Amino acid sequence: MTALLLGALGLTLSLVVPGLLARARWPDRAPVAAVLLWQSITLTAVLAALGVVLAAPEEVTRAAGSGQFAAEVTVIGALAVAAVIIVRLLLSLIGVSRRSRARRARHRLLVDLLDRAEQHRELGPDNLRILDGALPLAYCVPGREPRVVLSNGVLQVLDREQVDAVLAHEQTHLRHRHEVVMESFTAFYRAVPGPLRSRRPLDAVHLLLEMIADDVARRRVGAAPLRAALEQLSDAVPLADDVKPEADARGRRLARLSSSHKPSVVLNALVTAAAVGLLVLPTVILVVPWLDRALEEWPL
Amino acid sequence: MLGHMALGDLEREVMTQLWDAGEPLTVRQVHERLSRQRDLAYTTVMTVLDRLAKKGVVRQQKADRAYKYVPAQTREEMTASVMLDALTSSDDQDAALAYFVGQLPPDALAAAIEAAQKKR
Repeated sequence: MTALLLGALGLTLSLVVPGLLARARWPDRAPVAAVLLWQSITLTAVLAALGVVLAAPEEVTRAAGSGQFAAEVTVIGALAVAAVIIVRLLLSLIGVSRRSRARRARHRLLVDLLDRAEQHRELGPDNLRILDGALPLAYCVPGREPRVVLSNGVLQVLDREQVDAVLAHEQTHLRHRHEVVMESFTAFYRAVPGPLRSRRPLDAVHLLLEMIADDVARRRVGAAPLRAALEQLSDAVPLADDVKPEADARGRRLARLSSSHKPSVVLNALVTAAAVGLLVLPTVILVVPWLDRALEEWPL
Repeated sequence: MLGHMALGDLEREVMTQLWDAGEPLTVRQVHERLSRQRDLAYTTVMTVLDRLAKKGVVRQQKADRAYKYVPAQTREEMTASVMLDALTSSDDQDAALAYFVGQLPPDALAAAIEAAQKKR
């Protein structure tokens, strides 16, 4: 019974809930709590899968009244499968963060060599790098020695206030270590077997992190310059018609920046409580009673 | 001694000299050009060129008895490849770095970068 319930929970969390949450619009009003909820959903799905692997064989052998030997073999097999799942997740995480670090180190080396910032010292931060080129680009390179990179095209289409808004946005990604959040979701995505994979959590969390950076930038420089910057930079880049999800994401960010900013305290509290509850309740309700029963008859 | 920042600045200045020269330069030639602006030891320039060669951003060419150094890519080429790297992501790779302007398909990206470079 425990295994069935955990299985149903795991499948719901990995197949049904992400679709609903990705389509919902309320996370736009509580992006920080929503990221927490996505993390909780993902972690709970993993724990549920581990729970099924451990509980199902034990429950089956107990119900079948198998002998001591069969029970021992089953428990060892279940532990081995659980270990494989955990190792696969860890290896994926190590791989993703190692490749990201190497890529960023190389990228940082090149932007440092190409930097034209000596002509733009008035813009401020020491970690700012300016690239030649008319294509408007603004991004950050996270890591121990982070960089914010602007192309010359950005300086051509944005005024000083708008540039400050973009800088505040990018510095927020760096200060809040958003790359760590993205890396963990990427690692999970890559560790999941192909047919069960979904980009939904990755894309949704990415958009929420952009909103979080928008909110900090808005508090620092006001919504108007940030909104103008976002519009200017989008107009300057020819976005293909078939990149609809990206256009939607941009629309959602712009919509948030046009409405008056009232962070919803109630919504934040509710979503945070849901995230914590999701992680804790299944363990308390399902796993602990099962563990009690299973340990009583522990064959090893 | 050179601090960390100073070394980074020096690497950038050496690259700029090589890019601006448009032809392979010896250590001595790079040293001469940099010495117009500041007091710099010959061995320092040699060390910096050696580091840049190890990182693969300049190539060493044997010419007569001296080594000459040439950038592995022009400034424009390197800028374009940096931008492409910043904007590229795929399922096998880690996320793209540049999100602010949104994502383009890879070939559209390369075309957009190229077009923008020509516009200058």
